Amino acid sequence: MARLRPFLIILLGMALGVGLGLYLGWEVWPIEFTDANPAVLQAGYQQDYVRMTAAAYAADGDLGAAQARVASLGPDGNETVLSVTLDAILAGGDEAEIRRLVKLAADIGLSSPAMTPYLPDEGGSQ
Amino acid sequence: MSRRSRANQSETPRRRFSSASLLLLGLILGLAGALYYAWVAAPIVYVDASPARFSERYKAEYIFLVSQSFAVDGDWAQAQRRLAALDDPAVAETVTALLETFVREGRPSTHIHNLAVLAQKLGGDAPAIALFAPTPLAGAAPTATAVPPTLPPTTIPSPTPAPTTTPLPTMTAAPTAVPTFPSEPTAQPTYRLLNQQRLCDGSESNPQIEVVTLDALLEPLPGVEVLISWDGGSDHFFTGFKPALGEGSGDFAMSPDHSYTVVLADGSPEISGLRIEPCDDGAAGGWRLTFQNLILQPDTP
Repeated sequence: MARLRPFLIILLGMALGVGLGLYLGWEVWPIEFTDANPAVLQAGYQQDYVRMTAAAYAADGDLGAAQARVASLGPDGNETVLSVTLDAILAGGDEAEIRRLVKLAADIGLSSPAMTPYLPDEGGSQ
Repeated sequence: MSRRSRANQSETPRRRFSSASLLLLGLILGLAGALYYAWVAAPIVYVDASPARFSERYKAEYIFLVSQSFAVDGDWAQAQRRLAALDDPAVAETVTALLETFVREGRPSTHIHNLAVLAQKLGGDAPAIALFAPTPLAGAAPTATAVPPTLPPTTIPSPTPAPTTTPLPTMTAAPTAVPTFPSEPTAQPTYRLLNQQRLCDGSESNPQIEVVTLDALLEPLPGVEVLISWDGGSDHFFTGFKPALGEGSGDFAMSPDHSYTVVLADGSPEISGLRIEPCDDGAAGGWRLTFQNLILQPDTP
């Protein structure tokens, strides 16, 4: 037992150090996280990001860039696009914005019956 | 007995010191490991971040998207709200810096223009903004003198020689005319003088007035009619008809003893007092006038 005593003391010190270190590292001085990407945005900001992506796509027609922006939203990026699009349609929002969102959604391969009236050349009212 | 007692007295403090040092060693090891874990291996990940937490790359992308959205919907309040989410106290400077990066990277002209408009709306002040967002913003009252989009009557040649009271052009390369804006919306293009400089390349036997016309995004703009008049005569030509000069360029041979006035038929400042003047090497020199169209013709995607 006497021979184990030094190791027990070290273990006790380490346990105290770990506890103190985690408290300091996560609570007192958490690392300032400034390298975020759109995937970690708050839901409201993600929805706004989708709207801006649709506007940019309407402006420059760059589908590759639009797809990359949707992909930057994370694995649920497509679902976010569809959700924002359907929310805009169901809320009866600005028609020009709905059309931009529908075009983006359709061009990245998303579909919904609610999008049909806003699609060009497919019974839309354009 | 006395020897053992002396030995015990010397071992006890050493054992106490050893226990304290062992505890301290463990504490330091534990602290270091935990801090590494907390800061490097498993830092706190914000899952509800705002754009203020973006990396520089995504911050630039975000600003670009704001400029594109503003170009599409014209909603300035929304653009301001989006930019405010960056929590950048010097957002105008940030947008202007991004604009200059776009210019250096040769991004598409409409992207540059939209970013320049955003920077201008934010009150940014940089040459790149003046170059790529030359048109007055909606709601902004033009402060410069309006120039009608037709040839001013004063440039119509009169039968009698006009006195040469117009000021001589200066030797500086800086524009000598104030940029002008249309007083009301018009479909006809209007130009500003972007640059006026001496033409002293010595390759031409006769000094020339060379006119270069550019669109709002500084791309050559051919087919622009240039009206040129002098005491006792007038002429006109179109830019872009001499491929050797460039797509948006045209020239006119100058004669000695004449003072020329140049104006674009679609509306521009009147540049007068253009004469043949000696260059530094003694050869006769002409003038190069560069005009920029103030109306953006959007690209078709």
